[in-house]
Amino acid sequence: MITQALKIILMRKGMIYQCRIFYPILAVLISLLLQLPRSEPLFAETASGKVLILNSDMSVSNYALAHTGFKTKTAAISGEIDLGSKWVDESNVRKTIHNANPDVIYCIGSKAYLLAYEFAGNKNIVFSSIINWRRLPMGKNTYGVSVELLPSMQLTLYRYFFPEINKIGVVYSKDYNKEWLETVIKSAKDVGITIFKKSISKQEGVESALKDLLPKVDAIWLAPDPIVISKIESVGEMFKQCDSAGKPVFAYNEAFADLGATLIISADITTMGGQAAGIALDLLSEQKRDDKVQTPAGTNVILNLKQVEKYKIKLNEEALDSVNQIIK
Amino acid sequence: MHFDFRLYCRAMLLRTAQSLSTGYFPGKCTHLPNGASTVTLLLFFLILLPCFFFSFSAFAGNKLTIYFYNPEININNFASLKKEFDTYLSAYGDYQLQPFSEREIFEKVAVSKNDGIFIISSWHYKKLKETTPIEPVLVAVSKNKSTCRKILSAKKNINNLTSLKNSNIASASSEDYTRNIIKQMLGDTSDGIVRSVKVLSVPKDIDALMSVGFGVAEAALTTENSFSKLAAINQKQYEMLKQLSVSEETLLPIVAVPKYLINECEQLLKVLEKMGMTPDGKNRLNMLGFEGWKVLSEQEKIILGK
Repeated sequence: MITQALKIILMRKGMIYQCRIFYPILAVLISLLLQLPRSEPLFAETASGKVLILNSDMSVSNYALAHTGFKTKTAAISGEIDLGSKWVDESNVRKTIHNANPDVIYCIGSKAYLLAYEFAGNKNIVFSSIINWRRLPMGKNTYGVSVELLPSMQLTLYRYFFPEINKIGVVYSKDYNKEWLETVIKSAKDVGITIFKKSISKQEGVESALKDLLPKVDAIWLAPDPIVISKIESVGEMFKQCDSAGKPVFAYNEAFADLGATLIISADITTMGGQAAGIALDLLSEQKRDDKVQTPAGTNVILNLKQVEKYKIKLNEEALDSVNQIIK
Repeated sequence: MHFDFRLYCRAMLLRTAQSLSTGYFPGKCTHLPNGASTVTLLLFFLILLPCFFFSFSAFAGNKLTIYFYNPEININNFASLKKEFDTYLSAYGDYQLQPFSEREIFEKVAVSKNDGIFIISSWHYKKLKETTPIEPVLVAVSKNKSTCRKILSAKKNINNLTSLKNSNIASASSEDYTRNIIKQMLGDTSDGIVRSVKVLSVPKDIDALMSVGFGVAEAALTTENSFSKLAAINQKQYEMLKQLSVSEETLLPIVAVPKYLINECEQLLKVLEKMGMTPDGKNRLNMLGFEGWKVLSEQEKIILGK
């Protein structure tokens, strides 16, 4: 087609028969095209195929970070859809997915995942940034990166930052976190930490549970438990109670920074985006994957030095190179 | 007629302040010298405007900046790092830190600005000195050593480096740097393997090591120091790993100064050199992964010159 177009142009200009230069020109053009700089893929062994990114809401900073993390690791992106915070015309999304015909759909957030799950058919889906992914329907072509860090990762970092904290208290509900706590107790032994637990069935039980735990422990680990953190005011009270006892609180989300958490360890969002890209590229190159859902590989650490000084906890200063944000 | 410019300026500023506090736009005012009007007021500020710009740029010219870029570590705490260093440095002079995460941007911005010194990896220094006239002055020190080695550790079922083909390698260093070190470890015939590996970028060495234990990556490239730290923190995780290869000894990050700025930066270099001697300074340096600085020995300069 290009050859024909070039012929027509040259014929109109009356050059093709005058100069007999059509084929030499074509050869030069082709060789020039071959010399054009091509973008270097980050993974040297390129995968063929296309990826569509479906983002639940780009204005949410964590979703935007995952999006960027993904894009820096793959060049095979055929389209991007931001579902945004407003009402979504589902038929339009379905149409876009159909037209893009991607081999993999990367879904950021549960809204994006649920839409893709409905419309994607047999296509591969890779998700990230979904809290408690186990509650969602999973297809045989679904892969992803969990947002929850393994307890062992958190405990290893607690040990790294605070070498003298040996006893940690956890308030939890058996309905939601029985298995999680069993893993915590087992992993804690590997790093020489003893877990003191207290189960509750109603949020009102937190105060007395803490009353019982605080004299026995060096710190409190705020569990991601819907009963424990059901009301924001009560979480505030919980922090006050720990503060009065001079005990630091370790938390799992930056939202607890303002309440006075001493150490916050959460999954690093950009790394999760990179991991999702790795999975997508493996799927595109038809590499066999043993794991369906990966655990986050990177951590984000917020350290409140004011609290460290206030509670007189021994901090491993070498660990400061692992802190993302210092509060002073 | 005598015209006192200072008095005029003071009156103009007072008048502006009045108008801002009252919310009324100033009309003709009798207490201004020579009965200046609103038009005069606007003209006054229009004339002053370039002076403001001039003064800001002059100010910026005097401020010395420490430009930081290190592909060996993944810096993602820019705000904290800058805040901590700027607070520390402000006690000693008009200095500031400017960290970078991208090598291209660092080389474009920092090198062209001509207003400061560089904290860079020895690997980067060797590349940068070919295009920029810079002098290495200080080298970082960690545990009384100015050098470090990188360790490639893997799951126990990976027996040798060639088994790493198509595998995921977790690293807190830049992808470029990671591939370079792996290539160095594997030797010249390694191109196929180096190309096939996938680098999983993580924020810190400890993340890289743990990701192998948790099955996210097959191997991790970290410093020797981080590898031995894991043994002290989590013996079980450490025992899951096997040391596959060790890199050559390389110098820790260095401080380099543009040759034409050596005299201007003398004071700043002294401040940096002494940073590791105070707890406050040491804490800040810990954020970069080391404890202090020392003047480069002749032997170390020879290594850097190679």
